[in-house]
Amino acid sequence: MRTDFARSVRLGRLALAGIAACSLATISAAAQDTPAVPKGPPGGPPGGFPGGPPGGPPGGPPGAGGPPPGFPMVKPLTEAQKLVASLPPPQPGASGPPVNLPPDAPKPSPDPRDFQGGWNHDTPLVFRMQYDMYGEPAPYNMAGAKVLQRRVLALNHGKPFLNASGICRPPGIQWQHDLNMKFRVFQNRNYVEFVFEEYHGRWYIQLDPNVAPPPTEKQYMGYSVGHWEGNTLVVETTNMKQGVYLDVDGTPLSRNGKLITRIRKIDDGQRRPFLEMETTIVDPTYYTEPWSVVRRFGWNLGSFREYNCEEQIGDPAGGAEAGLIPEPQD
Amino acid sequence: MARFLRLGVGALLGGALLCGGSGASAQVQSDHPEFEGVWKIATSTTTLKLPDAVPFTAKGRNEYAANKKMKARGDYDDYDITTSRCSSPGVPRLMLTPMRFKIWARLGYVTFDFEWNRAIRQIDLHATKQPDMMGDDLVPTMTGDSRGHWEGDTLVATTTNLSERTLLDDLLPHSVDMKVTERLRLTDPNTLENRITIDDPAYYTKPWDAVITYKRQPDAIFPEDICLDRIQAHKPAFPTS
Repeated sequence: MRTDFARSVRLGRLALAGIAACSLATISAAAQDTPAVPKGPPGGPPGGFPGGPPGGPPGGPPGAGGPPPGFPMVKPLTEAQKLVASLPPPQPGASGPPVNLPPDAPKPSPDPRDFQGGWNHDTPLVFRMQYDMYGEPAPYNMAGAKVLQRRVLALNHGKPFLNASGICRPPGIQWQHDLNMKFRVFQNRNYVEFVFEEYHGRWYIQLDPNVAPPPTEKQYMGYSVGHWEGNTLVVETTNMKQGVYLDVDGTPLSRNGKLITRIRKIDDGQRRPFLEMETTIVDPTYYTEPWSVVRRFGWNLGSFREYNCEEQIGDPAGGAEAGLIPEPQD
Repeated sequence: MARFLRLGVGALLGGALLCGGSGASAQVQSDHPEFEGVWKIATSTTTLKLPDAVPFTAKGRNEYAANKKMKARGDYDDYDITTSRCSSPGVPRLMLTPMRFKIWARLGYVTFDFEWNRAIRQIDLHATKQPDMMGDDLVPTMTGDSRGHWEGDTLVATTTNLSERTLLDDLLPHSVDMKVTERLRLTDPNTLENRITIDDPAYYTKPWDAVITYKRQPDAIFPEDICLDRIQAHKPAFPTS
């Protein structure tokens, strides 16, 4: 077995694609998971956009001097939100290089209810979902804030906790599709199947729960049921085997939590269509109210590269827990 | 084993069911609907071909014999990291897995969607190889680089760039220079035949064939299969029932 070089390259790729998909250069972010800031001067770009006024620090005041007259007041932070805001900031995210498809690359279907094809999240990876899709701080309760605090501090001390991704188990649907790696969508009349390049990920969305009820054993990825509202597929995911990290830093979702994902294909007729997924996190264990984030996925029908994390995790030199530390239970 | 979620009634559903969607003509259609569906190896086996029928070179025979000894000792991690670690069995061993797999033939790829450990394999049918984000073929991989084309109703796939950290089955070795050619065709609507040709002069004196057949299964949502959880529970990587 003379593959030291090959293996080292593979391991490097695993490191890049997994927890540390992480070390890519920062590029300017789309307006997602960024703090709410007041509007800029008339005619200028909105706050948080290139050329606009900088967004305030996490949890800080909404801008120098407060909001302009007539602008709605931002709610004061709760004690839990203040705790979250006090944590060391997450790494800045980045997206991958632009996709250059060959001339014979197939195009997406014009049918708005047909999501089939290849896609990948093409805006910067969000390491920690501190804000909702409107730029408001995530509505942590104190239990959730303490879980996040524990995870962030462990990570910053170089002793991250065991989590599904780190030991080559399915990481849950949000982390799975947030990674900037490719996935395929296949559909038939009974289900929509997402097949991910990373973690051998599968996300089955049953379209008729009477035909496919929940499996007898809970699954890491949970159980997802979808229905159409117009051309939006609305998916509820519950029944997870265990609580999951929603992102790299460990934004928590308890095993009793629920994700509602609203998926639609957007095609303005000018450029390549994209998928949009708006995820609502419903989890009274850790949050005071439901909150939502949104992601964009560009067309990418490139070949999958192999993701064989078991080869690495199973190496006797490393240990089954990959050097990660069991997380204290609440 | 978690419950097998059967979809649809009736026995063997034709591939046409799988590409139905809402019936809108604008939907992505299968390139070869007769190939699509759920399949399972007809006769479970861990052996691609009996060793007596394999034209070993001296190097190939020696390595095969060494593998047998390690197997007898239970030293799996020294020669078979699929059994010891759940590492991808690669090509062609994936085609021997005892669980089901799904074929999707759409948008210029044939995707093999395996129930076993949620393994994946793609055959790229495009005239121009579709790019990936990380660079092409920098290192050999377990599933290699599979390119395919149709010859009538037969899918012909050639796979190269295969890591020698896999085996052809539970014992047969190969080199990184191996070429695997597969000819997949339906011998009847519910039987898929895969004629596999191994071309690897370092280990075998001449190319040799093995034929595996698969039977169509009812369409299904596969339960989440986690090989590492089996290993952790001291169960075999490949379920025996």
